[in-house]
Amino acid sequence: MIELMKTGIDGLDDILNGGIVKNSTTLISGNPGAGKSLLGLQYIYNGVELFDEKGIYLTFEENESDLADAAASIGFENWDEYVDNGDIKVYDKQVLLRENDFSSALEILLDDLDDDQYERLVLDSLTMFQLFFENEREKRTYLLKFTDILRENDLTTLMTNEQGTVFPETDIGLENFLTDGNIFLLQTPTDSGVNRYVWVAKMRKQNIDTDIFPMEISQGGIKVHQNASAFSMMTEEESPI
Amino acid sequence: MASVDLLQTLGNKYSAEILEATDEPRSAQELSDELEIPIATCYRRIDELTEHNLLELHDNILSDDRRRIKVYRRNVDAIQVEFDEELTLDVEERSEVTNKLDEAWRTLSES
Repeated sequence: MIELMKTGIDGLDDILNGGIVKNSTTLISGNPGAGKSLLGLQYIYNGVELFDEKGIYLTFEENESDLADAAASIGFENWDEYVDNGDIKVYDKQVLLRENDFSSALEILLDDLDDDQYERLVLDSLTMFQLFFENEREKRTYLLKFTDILRENDLTTLMTNEQGTVFPETDIGLENFLTDGNIFLLQTPTDSGVNRYVWVAKMRKQNIDTDIFPMEISQGGIKVHQNASAFSMMTEEESPI
Repeated sequence: MASVDLLQTLGNKYSAEILEATDEPRSAQELSDELEIPIATCYRRIDELTEHNLLELHDNILSDDRRRIKVYRRNVDAIQVEFDEELTLDVEERSEVTNKLDEAWRTLSES
């Protein structure tokens, strides 16, 4: 019996057939502005708000106060309270890059993981994390080791990944093969703004709906709509991942 | 002179090959087999390199026949030699980040 962890995001758990596999690592890829960080934020927030599961949010991209502002503006009213009482532990870019040295923060993080009190983790972004490694081989090796460490410590992880346009036929980074699941966030400009879509391309051990679903970002966060979009482009067998 | 000593150690036959191969932890026996180094020489080189902190004892792992085996890992990424004015060696140690992840990952299998 595979245990699942709900994201608590409207519609997303349904297309995931219940949630994300527990103790797995899922890559959230997309362009800047596609909603990757928000998805991570919501996943961590919902963990505490809906499921009483503590989370760790690692960000190389933002300060703790930027994060709090983002949470407040999207309607995660209790974010500050959860951070204050320790249900959500934030490592922001100031902490992670203190003394220009990620290793001291890594040490504290590894201690926290050992603690067993956290169940969810977000790394925003994997792209930045990988800058600490010197070559492709190191990047792969340490991504695998890091995901092993997270799994063994019973953490269910989302990692964001900067990626150019992600439609079939384009390059697919090796990261996609090394993680347990891949979710792509897509956006296309329209006259009035953007259309947003989510595509769950891969989930190890899980039957998923690999159609592309429309999603929206509004007050309360991300919502995924159930009606599969008209341009469902590939079947599971054809997926390159 | 410490720098000359270190260079001497580096220059010994097989030293560079051992450092190259110990990106991941390796035992003396493995190094001897892979690099075709006589085992006694292999142990001697490992001792010299460890003495100069270029190589470190990484772990005592349990072999298939339940013996403890020492595995060694290189401690440096690069060494730069300067001859200007005074001979200096700039030893660039391996990244702390990778070390910490290696360490944490290694303890997973023990617990």
